[in-house]
This record gives sequence, structure tokens and C-alpha cells, in this order.
Amino acid sequence: MVRVPKAPSFVGPGAIDVALEVNGEAVTVHVPPHRTLLDTLRETLGLTGAKRVCDEGTCGACTVLIDGKPAYSCMTLAVACADRRVETVEGLSTDGLHPVQQAFIDHDAYQCGFCTPGQIMSCVGLLRQNASPDTEDVLRAVSGNLCRCGAYPNIVAAALAAAKKTKR
Amino acid sequence: MSIKVVRTKSEFEGTISEETALVEGTDLRSWADDAGLTIVGKRHPRIDGIARVTGRAMFTQDLYLPGMLHVRMLRSPYPRARVRKIDARRAEALPGVRGVLHRSNAPKAAFRGEETIFRDEVRFVGDEVAAVAADTEEIAAEAVRLIDVEYEVLPFVADLEEAMAEGATKLADAGNVSDSGKHDRGDVKRAFAESKVVVEAIYRTSTQLHNSLETHGAVARWDGGELTVWESTQHVFGVRAGIQAALKIPYKDIRVLCDYMGGGFGSKGGAGKYTIVAAIFARQLGKPVRCFLTRDEENLAAGNRSATYQTVKIGAKGKKIHAIEHLSWSNAGQGRWVADPTGPTNGLYDIANVRSRSYKVLTSLGALASFRAPGYVEGTFALDQAIDELALQLGEDPLALRRSHAKQTTDPVTGLRYSLKRLLRCYDIGEKEIGWHRRKPEGARGSAPYRRRGYGMASQLWGGSGLPPAYATVHLNPDGTAVLRCGTQDIGTGTRTVLAQLVAEELGLEVDAVRVELGDTNSQYAPISAGSLTVASVGPAVRLAAKDARCQLLEAASGLLEMGTSELRVQHGQIIGQGHRTSIGEVLGQVENFTVIGKGSRFPNPEGLSLKTFGAHFAQVEVDVRTGEIFVEHVVAVHDIGRVINPLLATSQVEGGIIQGLGFVLSEERIVDRPTGHVVNGNLEGYKIPTVRDIPRMTVRFTEDADVKANNIGAKGLGEPPIIPLPAAIANAVANAIGVRIRTAPITRQRVLEALSLQ
Amino acid sequence: MKPFAYARPKAVSEAVDLARGGATIMAGGTDLLGLMKDGIAAPERVADIRDLDALKGWSRSKGKGLRIGALVPLVELETSAELARSMPIVHEALAPAATVQLRTMGTVGGNLLQRNRCSYFRDEAFPCWLKGGLRCFAIEGDSRLHAVVGAEECVAVAPSDLAPALIAYDASVALTGPRGSRTLPLADLYVTPHGRVRREHAIAPDELLLEVRVPENALGRRGAFEKAMERKTWSFALVSVAVSVKVIGGVARDARIVLGGVAPVPWRARDAEKLLEGRALDDAACQAAADAAMDKAEPLKDNGYKVPLARELVRRNLQRLA
Repeated sequence: MVRVPKAPSFVGPGAIDVALEVNGEAVTVHVPPHRTLLDTLRETLGLTGAKRVCDEGTCGACTVLIDGKPAYSCMTLAVACADRRVETVEGLSTDGLHPVQQAFIDHDAYQCGFCTPGQIMSCVGLLRQNASPDTEDVLRAVSGNLCRCGAYPNIVAAALAAAKKTKR
Repeated sequence: MSIKVVRTKSEFEGTISEETALVEGTDLRSWADDAGLTIVGKRHPRIDGIARVTGRAMFTQDLYLPGMLHVRMLRSPYPRARVRKIDARRAEALPGVRGVLHRSNAPKAAFRGEETIFRDEVRFVGDEVAAVAADTEEIAAEAVRLIDVEYEVLPFVADLEEAMAEGATKLADAGNVSDSGKHDRGDVKRAFAESKVVVEAIYRTSTQLHNSLETHGAVARWDGGELTVWESTQHVFGVRAGIQAALKIPYKDIRVLCDYMGGGFGSKGGAGKYTIVAAIFARQLGKPVRCFLTRDEENLAAGNRSATYQTVKIGAKGKKIHAIEHLSWSNAGQGRWVADPTGPTNGLYDIANVRSRSYKVLTSLGALASFRAPGYVEGTFALDQAIDELALQLGEDPLALRRSHAKQTTDPVTGLRYSLKRLLRCYDIGEKEIGWHRRKPEGARGSAPYRRRGYGMASQLWGGSGLPPAYATVHLNPDGTAVLRCGTQDIGTGTRTVLAQLVAEELGLEVDAVRVELGDTNSQYAPISAGSLTVASVGPAVRLAAKDARCQLLEAASGLLEMGTSELRVQHGQIIGQGHRTSIGEVLGQVENFTVIGKGSRFPNPEGLSLKTFGAHFAQVEVDVRTGEIFVEHVVAVHDIGRVINPLLATSQVEGGIIQGLGFVLSEERIVDRPTGHVVNGNLEGYKIPTVRDIPRMTVRFTEDADVKANNIGAKGLGEPPIIPLPAAIANAVANAIGVRIRTAPITRQRVLEALSLQ
Repeated sequence: MKPFAYARPKAVSEAVDLARGGATIMAGGTDLLGLMKDGIAAPERVADIRDLDALKGWSRSKGKGLRIGALVPLVELETSAELARSMPIVHEALAPAATVQLRTMGTVGGNLLQRNRCSYFRDEAFPCWLKGGLRCFAIEGDSRLHAVVGAEECVAVAPSDLAPALIAYDASVALTGPRGSRTLPLADLYVTPHGRVRREHAIAPDELLLEVRVPENALGRRGAFEKAMERKTWSFALVSVAVSVKVIGGVARDARIVLGGVAPVPWRARDAEKLLEGRALDDAACQAAADAAMDKAEPLKDNGYKVPLARELVRRNLQRLA
């Protein structure tokens, strides 16, 4: 396997192998350096939970966790994720629903559902770092995720409810 | 059951038309308010929640088929130009390019009144010039840049008021301005002469961009003479009709599918050029073809809410509104119609003398598309501000002034009696919830230095009656589960869940025992998911289908249990007779496999009645007079929509409408560079939709009475109503707070500061 | 986005070598990828410097002030309690900057070196002056978000909120390149595009920003930050204002008033600062300084509102410190 090589030699512009961890599994993808993580997840790995809405870091629908922290996968190169841990919405529910997912259902925290995977990943990222967030913490965490249908109040309520449940 | 032909008048987005539809059997009466319903009217989480939260919900954008090709469009860089020459050789030579379509080689395809997809004259920046299909989107995008086009640049107009002006560049032989609506009632001229107080003002609203998070797009697959199209759409049957018209393919060979869709708000009403192009390529190249717009393209060429220029003149005799004249010009871009902003002026308040005119104005910009209550949002912004301006002159409380004009029980436009009208109750509830008594005519001090507090309200009128035709079937399985099939769509409103509740209630099942399959033209016809008409159109057909299935089930059960059908009923999955309670599965399990199929159709709306929805929004705001910042503190929304099928989802819908209305009135504005006709903020950075931090406290209430005369479920639509009065309510609250009226939406910091500096 | 070759240097010297060879430096990538997607930047080679340990982390040593590595994520500056104590303005400036995701991905160096957000500059369709064209399109077109002061041929504004905040602490930046290392006052990292200078930063293409330094005597200076946006969050500033001041014996000393969103560079309102020297921060002084801060304003056709807005934010910041 070709790892991202030692400097100062260049790889690309053609496709190269990049090894990374996606939802707990080691995977190697064959992509050119300019391919974004979002397109790699969707087109190479078939993980279509993260959505392409703006493709320029202005909406949050592509939010995934990289090394446990929320990031826009459309503004991240796949090659820059070599040896890093990537988590998508598909990885949350291997063993039943994650509390955030259940809370989104209970609180009707979506309408069309297109921003939902990104919103959920932002909330999960928050709970990882802060087990008992208050409303301000939640607002801060989801400020980077637009919802055109306007499900915001329910998203905030869901995140707070999930936090309560997780803590218990 | 026999088929009957029915003719009925129906309203769609403010336009009333005569419909002919087929119905079967007989209709039911609506459930009464005290019918003891156990599922309908109750909060129920969405039945498709798990798919939505796990990322498994399959949106059209998520469909990647083996061997699929990707399309990108070449779009005009000029607002108006003649395409003299296209040379695609460099693009075609690029490895990975499979085809290029443009005006010289594209097959004829009738599309929205034209004979071709690619016009000789491009008419706005973003107009389609050519399309490339390639192995990847990246290659297609690169190839687009390699197409050489020779344009002859033509004069253009990229601004509404410029296009309206005398001597403006003519974009059509008949001129840029054309009539699009009129209403006359009483004698306006005389009434103004009789009026002691007359207020006249100009109101402007900006172009609002839908920005559905899933852009417009389609995937087309052509195999064995059958075309399958997956499209992010509000109307699979509309897409089918568009494809048939363009490509002359018989209906039997077209199947259009839409499972989950990422928002439309009115803009996804039928086939787009991307659909037709994908279908042509799929047929030519023998591979599945995907064509999705980018965000920038979405904001150039996929529709918008027209900007408007409106004048309202309103006169009072005594303490009553005596006359109103409302003139409105809407920026159609290159659209073939416009919505009518004068609808609320004509029909909302009881005013004896009314004159309204609306005009469509052509400009060198992308065509409008319906956007959640098209016309009514813009028109209410003008009308309900004008009423406040008059109230101020009269020294009247604006709510009291509205009350005295909201008592009529007949529709002032048609003279027909309303089936139900609870507008006054909306006022009562809203007045109390917002604390209207705290409103002072001169505004009040806010919670911090330089902050002023104000209250405002506005009323809502919309149709929402629903209309035929709509059909549904319910397949009941031997295990007591059921599948509802209907060709409607769930565009995010919760249609799947609401329809499952109707089936469960009528058929006697638990909601979880019902599966809903929709968004498929191989299913029963259903209308477009727009105009607040889904629940009221499809719901009654679904109820009849469930009732038909229930009757068949009881007949079967009567045979199996050897009891009379009249002794049996079904509830919560149990067949209940005298002293007898067995699960459906147990009863039906006694026979071999079979399917009970219940069918239902939507009957016409009642003759001689006017079916409307009403509502009122109240807002409390603060305005920082030194920084122009507006703080929306509390919004109370009260709606009269008949029976609420699912209060959880209905509340979400209202909150969503409020939030989209906040965007319209506070921050959303398409900005066009006038010298070049380019949209400079066709993206989610420059075009500001509300974020989670822009959301006020919201109180949502419903009047809750079922409209038992409307249809067999007693419900009307809720999609549009919650956006209609919000902008005017906010504008009125801002004016109350700062004592200066800002008549242009959005009310940005810039506009607030400019208005205050003129003081 | 144009395909490119990619390298990940492990040492500063390697990164400098790559940059000298024509590679474009990328840190968090949140600005560079945007420019590349918009067709404004099209590097053939990209050097991803995320592995340069020398540029990571921040430290404070007694008497020597604060050193912040160029690769420190913005979110760390925002959330560190210790940094919030020593540089409250930076903390205040970052909380409303962009979003958690972007602050997690974006770095201090990248933020300070981000290019302007003028929509004409960012749109490939407009061959604007800054990109080598003949004229500025914003002046005749839509100028509501543009500069009201200090602009020459290009009226785009400096977008960073962090820069004004750090300049209010007299921050400097350390750069290194093939011609050696140098230190610049942070304010001097920014240049007003004019004449033959069609860029916004003084850094050479083959130079690397190593770290930001804040002198000991500036830390703990009292400060305040205000930002006006078109919505409540996730917007570049219409106007942002960072103010720091020492109050000694009831009078103001060493005031720094730095504005974002009003000029092509972080705008230091020196006249206003001078006016405050030795004066008590009473209402009259705050208002006088606020007025002076926008003395030289020459608004364009659409952005006159920024002048009273900037004045008011200056006044409020000063009043908060009074």
C-alpha cells in the first residue's frame, strides 16, 4: 500500500492510495489528491449520508467527525485524512440508534431531512466533548448547519434531550 | 363501484379553475369534532424517522447507478445574447466525454412553450447553452469550459423598476409589462373622494431564492424501451407529463420516482431542462445519466420568488377602511406567469371598495417559480403594513381596525359563504399570547440602551381546500398490516406519516402497521405537493381507500367468524364483535394468501361554499437604533386550518414557515450586478438564510375546529399559511418600535440605519 | 478544482523548499480550497503543512509574552480558558467567527492570511483589478459590503476578525523563507492593494508564517470586541471593532482601536487612539473617539451605513472599558 509519502516528494496529480479509518474500519481509497473527503465518502465508499449542498463550506450538510471533531467534508481533502478517523452518520447506529438519532425522531427535528445527517453529526460531536451541554452550547454546535425547512427549535430540543439521556 | 364524472371549481395558489375529475363510489361525511378519534389529531413521530436519522433515506442526489454518466451545463455568461456559433470539438475530444448537446444537434423537445431546450437567443445569465455528458462530473465540468461559443451580445434589463420604466429596453415585442390580474369592487374613485384620511405608499420586496438544500436534478435510465427517471420533485406526474410532451414517449414507457426529497418550497413542480437533457442522453448513450445543478446554478436557473414593486392607497371614512387600491408589479425574469400579490387585498378584509391590478414584468433574469405562498407573502407585506399606516393616522389600534373588517362570513370576492372561518378567534388567541396590551402606539423602551421595543401583527388568507383528482389504494395483508399506495410525494411536510394515521384511524390499525409507498407514477395519480393541498386532496381519497378495505375486511371476517358485519368493528388491529376480540392476523390467517385492495378517490369540494384558511401572526421585536440590529423576541402564530391531523408535525410546519418568513423579511435578498446582469450572491455565503441563532421564541396555536363541510377528513392545508403574515407582522413591529416605517424587504441593518438617518 | 500534486513536508525547511519550488502552502485548507473551487487559485503543487510540529501549539513564558503557532486551530484560541484570560478580545472575536466546524479546521495562520470575500473577486466571471484585470466591478456594481475607508483601486475589505483582535494586542508575526527569517508587526502583514501591488498580504509566495507573538506588556490589556453581521451568526463582519486600552489613574493610555470590514486592511484608527491618550473614558471622550475613527471615511454608493455603524461599535467598545 502506498502511504502518503515523506516530504518533499509529491504524489499525484493522478490517483493514489490513501489509507484512513471510516466508521471504525480501515479502508484504502484510490483517489487523486484534489478529491474531497465528501466526494470520496459518497462516490467511492457509497456513504451518501453526508450531503453535497453548497460544496464550499457554507451549509454544514456534509459534516462528519474527523478524529472525533465535526468538520466539513466538502472542504477537506481525502488525502489529508490519511491515518485519521472519519465517522459518518452511517457509523452511528451499528448497535441500535444513537441517543441523538432517537431524540431527532422523538422531537421531529427535521422536515425534508437533507440537513439531518450533518445536524446529527454536529450534535454527536458536541456530546463527545461536553456531556452536559446547555442551550448555548447546542446553539454554538449547530450554528454551522443550515436547515432550510426551519427545524431549528426541534433540533436544539433534541440535542438537549439526547444529552440528558446519555448522562443518565 | 361505478365511475362518475364530476366538475368542480378548485383553487390553486390563489387561482380558481374548473376541474373535471373521475370519482368512484360515494363520499363519506367528515369525522365530527367529537368523533372520538384515537389516531388522527394525535402527536405521532414520523414513520420514516429511522431512515432520515441513519442516512439511509435515499434522496435522488444519493443515487449512483453502475456505469452512470454525469452531466454539466454550459450556461450563458450574458444576460441576453444571440448564439451565433457553437464549436464543441475541443470538448468532444476530451477523454471521458460521451456526448455534447447544443442547439445544432439536440433533438427537438417541446419545453414550456418552446420547441427546444437550447434557445438561439439566451435570455439571462445562466440560461442553458449546451450540455456535456461524461464519465465523471469533473470531466463534464472541464469539457464545458472547452466549448467555444460565439455570442452576439444584445441589450438587456436586469432590474424590475428599470424594466417598468418608459423607454426601457424591450425584451418582448409587446413590451416588458403585461396584465396579470385585476379585481374591482364598489366604486373606488368615489370612495376615496369620501375618505377623510388617505394613506398612500410604495412597498418593495426583494427576490427570494428557494435554496432547497437538495438542488434540482434527475437521474435517467433508459432500458428496453422504458425510461425510468428519479427526480427530486414535488410532482412525479408533472415530471412524467413534461417528459412525454418533450420526447413524445408514451406514458406506459415512462416511470418517474421520488422517494425522499430535499426541499422544494414550490420550485420543483415538474420536469426541468436537466430532466429532459438527462433523458435524451440516457437514450442516446444507453447508460444511466445524472444531471444535478450546483448551488450557483440552482440560484440562477431554478426559480425564485419575484421581487415586487407595489403601491397601496388606502382611505378611511370614520374609523373604517372605506377604499383600497393596490397596484403591483412582479419581476417574472424570463418566466411565463407571475403570482398575484393582490389576492389578500381582494379577499382578506371586508372592504367595500377595492381596485387592484397586478402586472407581470419581464427582465433579463432567471424565471420565477412558485415559492411558498407566491404573491401572498409579498402582497400581505404591503397590505398589512398599509393598514397599520392607516391605523396610525386614525389613532386606532391596528388590531381593532382589522377586527372590524374581519367579521364577514361570505367571501368578498365570490360572494360565497365560508365553510368555516375562525379569523377572529385567531386574533383573540394571538392578542393574549403576545401580550398585545403592552403595545404602545409610540413604541416602548427596550431592554438595553438604544433599544426600542415594538409589537406588530398581520393576518393570513390562503386557500388550502385541496382538489380532485387524487386516488389511493390500500392493500391489506393477511397478517393485518397494510400498504398505502399513492402517487403523492413527501416533500418534508410529513405526508407519509399523516396518511398512515388516516389509514390507521379508518381501517382500525396501529400506525406502525401501515406502510406508505408514494412518489411513483406507476401508482395512483395524486396532485402536486404544493399550494397547501396535499393533505386536503390526498387525505380524503386515502380515507375512502381505507374505508373500502375495512368494509372488505369485515365482510371476510363476518364469513370467517360467522357473525354479521354490522356486529363487527376494527380497532387497533383487533376485530371486535360482541364479547369477541381477535387480531386481524388471527382471523385472516385462517385463509390462504390473498390481498384486500381498497380504493379511494377524492370527491369534489362542496358547491356554493368558499373554503379558505385563515390565521394571524403577532411579533414582539427590539431594534437597536444605533446599529440597526433587529432582535425578534417572540412570534405567536395562530392558524385556522380545520382539523389538525398531527399536532407535532403541524407545529414543525408552522415554525418552519415562520423561519422562512424571517429570512424573507430580515436577510434574504438576491443581489444582481446591474451593469452585467450577474447574480453576485447565488451561494449560501452571500445569500443569508436564517441560522439556528436567528430563531425567536415561537408560540404556535391552532383554532382546531374541523372544517366538516370541506371534505371527509375536515382538514385544510398548512404548507403556505405560516409564511404569509410573518413578514408584515415583523415590519409592523419594527415600525412600532422605531417610529419609522421601512417599506422594503428585507429590513436589513443597512435599511434600518438609512431610514433612521433620514429622520 | 484543478488536479494538483500533493506533498506533506515534515520540517519547516522542507516546506520552504517546496514553496520555493512553486508549491502553494495549505494548512486547514478552508480558504485555499474555496479559492480553488471558485477557479481563483489553481496551484499545480500543494504543500500540506499539517505535520509541521514547529508550527503547533501555543506557549506563554514569563516576560517573553505569548507565542501562538500558525497551525493552532482557531477553536483552541477560542476555548482555552487561559488564553481567554490573557487575550479576552481574541476570545470574543472568535466565538462569532464562522462556525465550529470551520474554527476546528481553520488555523491561526490561515485565518490571518485568508483572502478577501468580495463576491466579484471570488467569481471567475469578473476579471477584476485585483486578479489582474482593468477595473473594480464593485464600485459601479454592488458595494454594500465594501470598504468605506483607506481603499485604492480595490475596495474589498479585510475579512478576518482575528486580525483586528490580535493587532489590538500589538501582535507580530514570524515569517521564514528562502531569504531567511523576519518578524513583522501583524498590522504590516496587510497591504492595501494599489498600483502594482495586487495582493492583500506582505508575505511572499515562498514564505511561511511560523507564529504569532504577543508581547508581555500587551497581555492583560483590557479590551472589547464587537461585530455587526447580516444575521446573528456565520457571516463575515459588516463591521468589526477591537479595542484595547490601559486605564492608569483613571485615564486611558496606549489605546488600540482596530476595525475589520471597513478597509482593505485591518483599519487602525490612529486619530481616535491619539485623541484618547491621557483622557478619562467618559461619554464625551468615547463619542469623540468614535467620530474620529471614521473621520476619513469615503463611502461608496451602497455602503454609507457602515460609517455610523462603525462609529457606534467603537463607542460601545470604549464605553464597555470605561
